[in-house]
Amino acid sequence: MSFEPKIVSFLCNWCSYSGADLAGTSRVHYKPNVRVIRVMCSARVDPTFVVKALAEGADGVLVCGCHPGDCHYSEGNYKTMRRMPLLKRMLADFGIEEERVRLEWVSASEGTRFADIVDDMTERLRALGPSRVKTALAYDAVER
Amino acid sequence: MTERRIGVYVCNCGTNIANVVDCDAVAEAAQSLPGVAVSRSYKYMCSNPGQEMIVQDIREEGLDRVVVAACSPRMHEPTFRRAAEMAGLNPYLVQMANIREQCSWVHDPGETATDKAKDLVRAAVYRAACHEPLERMAVEMCPDTLVIGGGIAGMSAALELADAGNRVYLVERTASLGGNVARVDLTAPYLDSARDMIVDRVTRVVEHPNVDVLLESELERLDGFVGNFKATLVRRSSGEAPPRQVVDVGSVVVCTGYKEFDAARVTHFGYGKLPDVITSFEFEQMLKQGRIELKDGRLPQYVAIVHCVGSRSEEFHGYCSRVCCMTALKYAHEVKSALPKAYVSDVYVDMHAFGKGCEDFYRRSAEVKTLFLMYGKGERPVVRRADPGDDCEMLLTVDEQLSGELIELPADLIILMVGMEPRDDAGQVAHLVNISQDKDGWFIESHPKLDPVATTTDGVYIAGACQSPKDIPDSVAQARAAAARILGKISRGKLEIDAMYAEVDEDLCSGCRVCNEICPYSAIEFDEEKRRSHVISALCKACGACVATCPSAAIKARHFTDAQIFAEITGVLA
Amino acid sequence: MAGEKLQIALYWGAACGGCDVAVLDTNEFILDVHAAADIRLWPIAVDGKYADVEAMEDGELDLALYNGAVRNSENEHIAKLLRRKSKVLVAFGSCAHLGGIPGLANLASRDEIMNVAYLHNPSIEKGNTTLPRPESGVNGSTLTIPEFYKRVYELDDVVPVDYYVPGCPPAADRIKEVLQAVVSGGLPVPGSVVGANETALCDECPRTKNEKKVKAFHRPWQVMIDPETCLLEQGVLCAGVATRGGCGARCPSSGIPCRGCYGPLPGVVDQGAKLLSAVVSVIDSNDAEEIDRILDGLPDFTGFAYRFSAPSSLLQRSVRQ
Repeated sequence: MSFEPKIVSFLCNWCSYSGADLAGTSRVHYKPNVRVIRVMCSARVDPTFVVKALAEGADGVLVCGCHPGDCHYSEGNYKTMRRMPLLKRMLADFGIEEERVRLEWVSASEGTRFADIVDDMTERLRALGPSRVKTALAYDAVER
Repeated sequence: MTERRIGVYVCNCGTNIANVVDCDAVAEAAQSLPGVAVSRSYKYMCSNPGQEMIVQDIREEGLDRVVVAACSPRMHEPTFRRAAEMAGLNPYLVQMANIREQCSWVHDPGETATDKAKDLVRAAVYRAACHEPLERMAVEMCPDTLVIGGGIAGMSAALELADAGNRVYLVERTASLGGNVARVDLTAPYLDSARDMIVDRVTRVVEHPNVDVLLESELERLDGFVGNFKATLVRRSSGEAPPRQVVDVGSVVVCTGYKEFDAARVTHFGYGKLPDVITSFEFEQMLKQGRIELKDGRLPQYVAIVHCVGSRSEEFHGYCSRVCCMTALKYAHEVKSALPKAYVSDVYVDMHAFGKGCEDFYRRSAEVKTLFLMYGKGERPVVRRADPGDDCEMLLTVDEQLSGELIELPADLIILMVGMEPRDDAGQVAHLVNISQDKDGWFIESHPKLDPVATTTDGVYIAGACQSPKDIPDSVAQARAAAARILGKISRGKLEIDAMYAEVDEDLCSGCRVCNEICPYSAIEFDEEKRRSHVISALCKACGACVATCPSAAIKARHFTDAQIFAEITGVLA
Repeated sequence: MAGEKLQIALYWGAACGGCDVAVLDTNEFILDVHAAADIRLWPIAVDGKYADVEAMEDGELDLALYNGAVRNSENEHIAKLLRRKSKVLVAFGSCAHLGGIPGLANLASRDEIMNVAYLHNPSIEKGNTTLPRPESGVNGSTLTIPEFYKRVYELDDVVPVDYYVPGCPPAADRIKEVLQAVVSGGLPVPGSVVGANETALCDECPRTKNEKKVKAFHRPWQVMIDPETCLLEQGVLCAGVATRGGCGARCPSSGIPCRGCYGPLPGVVDQGAKLLSAVVSVIDSNDAEEIDRILDGLPDFTGFAYRFSAPSSLLQRSVRQ
């Protein structure tokens, strides 16, 4: 069987989650590889969430928030914008490929954009192959 | 942790979910999850029998958590929370799994969609196990209202609220009330006078004991939350130190209207170059002065009216500005009554005559001998100076769709029906009152059909053409609807606000102050005495930015705790 | 316990020896320890053989303080041995608690480490390609050395641990408190971190804290550090916000940023991720390019954020092969 990546996606309630809902009401189909976790704002996404998802077997993590300047909480997405680049640098030091973690802005009217992002990320992760984090940790627990 | 008793309800949504996801299999899989006492699949969970099923199970099976796998929580979470409450269960012990909008409607039928639904249900069950009962806060509702914009919508909202006995602060940026309607002569389709309408409203507003009209003033800052806003108003006219006042209001109605499309952006009509190519608003000015004439004072023999300038075009605005078609017909009437010998031609794309009385008006316009010429959407009628010897000033070339012929139309006066667009500073206003704009810049309502005057910020309403192009009756209706929403809240006296907010555990806080700068609402205060930060819960809007930032994990986001989100992460990946 | 002396052991795994020295830093208190306890094993200070420990009854020891990480098979073997022989096993110091400085090696693979240490190093003789192996034949007989594991583990990865005493090294006063608690039976519930505070270092740091906004980060030697105000506010990376207090804030008090050795706060599952979140939140920019430039002022942030806790973090180690 071919490899099907599992993507955990954190969506802000006001823009991106609504955007994903809009994809639904407009019946815009996309790959079923994504599992959405709703947060009120992308700024709620503690880097720990991303790391935890990777440690527990996610092949990719997608964080989506309102477009810059359009945050429901006026500037929450700027906090996310500061957090994600450093998190990505850090993950690189742990040997985690850049494509595995992605930050995108998706507004409430961009259902199609959300679908496109999920499809694109799924394709890229398929090409990249499964994340080694979970298997490595499982291996370490038995084999030294 | 004591063993939970979780009830799982998998909604089939008729066939909406069941056609794609094997709902029975999802319910069966959920049965074996830790703490699940009951798991059922049912046709319509949101129906009365569906809700009754939950209520009954809570009572008879002693459920302490409820998971509903159905549509988006943005759709029916309130419904299922109410059902839980009816059965005596705290509403925050309900969790939804979105298996419709984010599963059955976007994936192909089969095993993968079913597997995804199982993952989402598992995550919801794990999360629900970590839910805590929460109490909503009751806060006072200030009965005063701030209305921004003194146009027809703003004045209508203000009067509705003031007549009911409440104070209204009506802030208008310019030196006079009336807005865009005050720039208009007669109105379509009944040809009644806009002036009469406006004068009556303005007089009533100005004389109303409950309305404070603040001209040449703007909202500078809005703090607080529904029922308890503090609005800083500033008077712009008076030089160095503009006088400010801070008023307490419970609600805000944004009625900032629109501005007309700048005709100079379209080059092929020669606007700004040819003297007698004018915009609809310039023509209104002429009508109000009572004399239709050319720049050199002569009377026009040929008048051409061009529709959709800036509207319904790929180049400028894709939307229809809604009022221009009927206004154009009104012009035909006014030209014909002022200059019975003039030839009027109406160059349109599609004739939109959808309002009450509009179709009749269209028919009557044909009777006043208006020549209707249809041009194609995306086509460009082109204006040029007439040749010497022609009996007109200009020639308008139209690729006429109905005849299929290229027609050169004589014209002395060309009126461009300019569309509506959001005001230049709509973005700043949106930012001030924390509402969103759509792709065109219009303010976004809470729900396009079911909640058209509320916004995503509780206590802030929108009315009139700031929401999208609108005619007078629609603007007034929306304004009064917003007022009605506010009056409903005022009459209840107290407001229940969401139990979601952040709180600091002072035993864990180190007073590092990293969170202080993070809060966009200044809801975090540092107590110098205790050297601890704390959240003013009424000001907190529950975004959770401080929670993610706190390096001590001392701040908890109620209903979005670390434990709950961790459980969800584990749940989707298990 | 009156009349009977406590039976204790101290051991170092993958460690620098600082933790052992810290025990001696308790000065004359060590005499009280000696009066109250028989020290059955302490490789750095007293004579004692593994065989002596192996000969003990299970549970014969009252207390074993294990400092150092688990880097090789010998570390693991002794950890398991002490676990068996001791009623109470304490992970003593950052390395045993979280993996510590040796745990930074988890950001590289074993091959990379071997390459640097034994093959491509200025002090290696040209052409010498000798690598340590668990077994090697010398003059017809077999020599064994402990196996160097692929990665570093913290103590509780290999054995259950009763208490954790953080610090690199633990502060002498706190060591005293812990030992006194052992003698008086005043230890909290097993699994607890002892000898440390429940709040972050900032709570005991004397520097004044204000709202924080920075446009650039600096290394401590690049700027004149104001002695009164919070280091992070001055753009000097300090791990104090995300680190347990209890050390007495010795580093920031003397102008040196906290390095994070007391580990994550209770309720925090990943010290580095939390520190990251806090540090970026003080950046005063909404412009992606400018943010990137500011982040360039944080060289090897990963090494900083996980200086003491990589093996016990969520990711634990690099997955590079």
